[in-house]
Parts: sequence; C-alpha cells; structure tokens
Amino acid sequence: MFSFTKKQEVLDISGIKIGGQPGEQPTVLFGGAFFKGIPDFKKTEKDIQNMLDLSKKTGNSSIPDFFIKKEEDVEKIIDFIGNTLPKNQPFSVDIIEPTVKIKVLEQLDKKNLLNRTIYNSIHIGITEKERKALKQHTPDMAIIVAFNPKDKSPDGKIEVLENGAHLTDKGLLAIADELGIKKVLVDTAALAPGDNSGAAISAIPVIKEEYGLPTGCAIHNVVEKSTWLNKYFESAKKTVDVSSNVNIVLFGGDFAIFGPIENADLVFPIIAWQDILVSEYTENYFGVKPAESHPRRKFF
Amino acid sequence: MENEYYPWGGDFTVCKNNGCVAVVLLQINYTPSPDVAIYGPLKTENIGVEKIVANIISNPYIRYLVVCGDDIRGHRSGSSLLALHKYGIDKKNRIINAPGAIPYIENLKKEAIDRFCAQLKIIDMIGIKDKKMIDNAINECIAKTPGCFGEPYIAIRIKPETTKIDDKRALHSRIIINYMDKVKKRE
Repeated sequence: MFSFTKKQEVLDISGIKIGGQPGEQPTVLFGGAFFKGIPDFKKTEKDIQNMLDLSKKTGNSSIPDFFIKKEEDVEKIIDFIGNTLPKNQPFSVDIIEPTVKIKVLEQLDKKNLLNRTIYNSIHIGITEKERKALKQHTPDMAIIVAFNPKDKSPDGKIEVLENGAHLTDKGLLAIADELGIKKVLVDTAALAPGDNSGAAISAIPVIKEEYGLPTGCAIHNVVEKSTWLNKYFESAKKTVDVSSNVNIVLFGGDFAIFGPIENADLVFPIIAWQDILVSEYTENYFGVKPAESHPRRKFF
Repeated sequence: MENEYYPWGGDFTVCKNNGCVAVVLLQINYTPSPDVAIYGPLKTENIGVEKIVANIISNPYIRYLVVCGDDIRGHRSGSSLLALHKYGIDKKNRIINAPGAIPYIENLKKEAIDRFCAQLKIIDMIGIKDKKMIDNAINECIAKTPGCFGEPYIAIRIKPETTKIDDKRALHSRIIINYMDKVKKRE
C-alpha cells in the first residue's frame, strides 16, 4: 500500500467521484449488462436495483455498463437507460462495432443523456467517423483503453496514451482532449494469460504517478480467459473472478470493471473490505482522509 | 522448437504434429478430427491473429487453415485473419481491408506474413456451423497430402526479455517507492 507523489485528480460525474489517493475515494464498480443473447430488460432492471442497493450499503458507487452489440438494439437500450435508471445515475456504454458507437452517441444526445454518459471506450482503433461523432455528441466522461498491441508492458500502455505508438496520429489523451472530452479514466487493458496479463495491474501505479488520472481495468477478463480454471477448478472460477478485482485496489486503482452485473453481490463486499484495509493504512501513514461515503465510515 | 516455447501459449489443442490442417473456431462448439494439426478459438483481431500466424508457420506441415463458425461482432477476428492472408498489412501495420476494430499486426515481420500467405491455403467457412460440412472440408484437405512446406519459421522469440532494475524497492523502471512508501517518478 502506498501513496502517490503526483497530485491525483478526483473526477465527478453526476455526483459520483472517481480517483484520488489510495484510501481517499471508495472504489467505483462497473457492472456489465447485456453481454450475451437478447437484452433481458426485466432481469437487468432488478440487477441494477440490487447493485444500487449494494452501493447504499457499502459506499462503493455503481456504474451500470451497458454492452451494446447490434444497431437494432440501440434505441431500446437507450430508452431503457432513460426510463429505468434513477434521474442522476451515471452509466457507461460499452460498444465494439464502430457504426454502433456512432448511433449510440446520436441517441444519447437526442435523449439528453450525455451528461451522465461514460463512453467505453476510446482506443487505438478510433475511426475518423467516430471522432466526428464524439465531437458532435460529446459524453461527459470517457474511458481510454491503453492497449498497445506491440508493447503490452506499462511502458507500452503509456506510449499509446502519450503518442499513439504510431498507430494513431497523436496520443490517446490528446485525442480525447481535442474531442472536448475533459474527464477521462484510464483502463490499463487487461490481456489474456500469456500476454503479460499482470501488466494491467502493475501499470496502475505507473499511470497514476505519471498523469494523476483515475485508473483501473477489467482484470476479471484475465480470469475469463484462464481456460485451465474451467477445466480443473470449475467450481472455484467465480471466486477467482470476483476476487481478482482486489488487485486493482491494492495497486492504488480507482475503479473496477468487474464483468457480469450478477456478480455484484460478491464483488461489492470484497471491494468494500479491501477499501477499508487500504484506508486504515493510508490514513495512519499518509494522513489520507477517507471520503464521507467511504466503506470505512459506513462500517466503523 | 522447445527452446522457443512454441507453440505460443493460448487456448488451443495440438493433435497430430505432422497434420496438414489447422482449424480456427469462431463461436462454435466443435471438435475436429484428431488428424488435424491444431485447433482452437480465435477471439481478437490483433494478438489472436498474430498467435495463429506465428504458431502455424512454426510447423511447416500445416498447409490448410479452415476458418469456421460465426465471426465475432465488432472484433470480426475471422474476417480480419482472412484479410491478412489476402491483402497483408499497410505501413502502419494495419491489416488491409480488415473489418475488425483494432486489426494491427505489431509483433510479426513482413517476412513472417509472407511466409504465412505462401505456406497456407485458407478454407473460408465463416458463417458455417454445420459440423458435417466442416468435417468434409477438413477431410478433403487431408486427402490432398500436400507435404511439408520446408523449414519451420520462428516468427517470435516467445521468451520474454527482463528489465533489470537495481533499486530494491522498485515497482517499475519508471517509478520507485521512497522510504516513506510514497510512489515517485524515477529521476
């Protein structure tokens, strides 16, 4: 456990704070919906409510992360977001297909939801059309994925943030700035085992000391790709998946994209526990005061 | 080969070392015949494609690559693999005409890609999940007994290079932890 010399940004989106020194703000938890099959709105509504209840209990803020695969789902999902989420609740939209990204941005603008939107994500595959759409329909916050296919180490991740590693015309941070996105979170791009998966965790303190930006990742993706778990330890897989998120907190990270929202019941108490552990030390040693909503204040 | 850690680790099954067929599975639950050389799923249009290329050209007996199942939305990794074979990469290392989101080949030299194109014929079965059809395509390839392409091509040295740092309390070459446990940038 440690503290950073560099001043750490605390960003606010619709009342939710992300970032700061370890032990300052509660870790923000992104729970994903609509990963598989046809969107199940009834079930997801319940899952979101459960996640929001867990936030009230623990102090760890929730961000529902909506995975949008197909163009034909865009309107339905955006309507669902507008009609179902509490009025000020921020959310993120996770989209891979470039054409779907543009349609989502247009719809979010149309429904006046951009001030609560975390765009997931800007990466080296950003297209000209996407840039244009982001400039026109600018979300309040974006996640920048520091994926560098050539160099998967923390240095390679910094390279894409800094100069685009020759894959983009400039660094991803400069691109976000140019598009008018003032609040950015850095995702350290967790890769499969065998592809320097540990670098996603070790990059967290490196990036935070370099830029002072809120940093985290979807470390559970590494567990999902650990096929040996399926083969030999199927019953333990969920435990490993959920507990993998602890690494983010221990290495000074600010948010965890923890995968299926259904895992919230297990993820929230584990992260709250870990937040308390870090806060006890960082307050005692560095004088970092936990925020009012910190789990340590809720439970002690 | 063993010293180079080939095949490059991943989610695949090695069957017959001198088999002439490799099978790429796209969102399909299918086990090919044990007579194929190697098979496994492909997820990403960058590192996943690189692994397939590197592993295949390390085994010159592989002459056919059957790509079957449904391509993955957004990533379009199967179609990106096909595009690599057909068009290669541009100056920015982007696979030409690849439909995937981040189709960059950053860890293979042009010679490795040329070798991949020369050694392999691709059997494009994207969109096909019928197991009998795939079995037939594989058997047709095996029946052609194309023979070995030549010497193995080692595209990547898998063994990682380590960074040597002398500080005892180092986290990374860019940062250190000082005596008060504060992280700071290395001078």
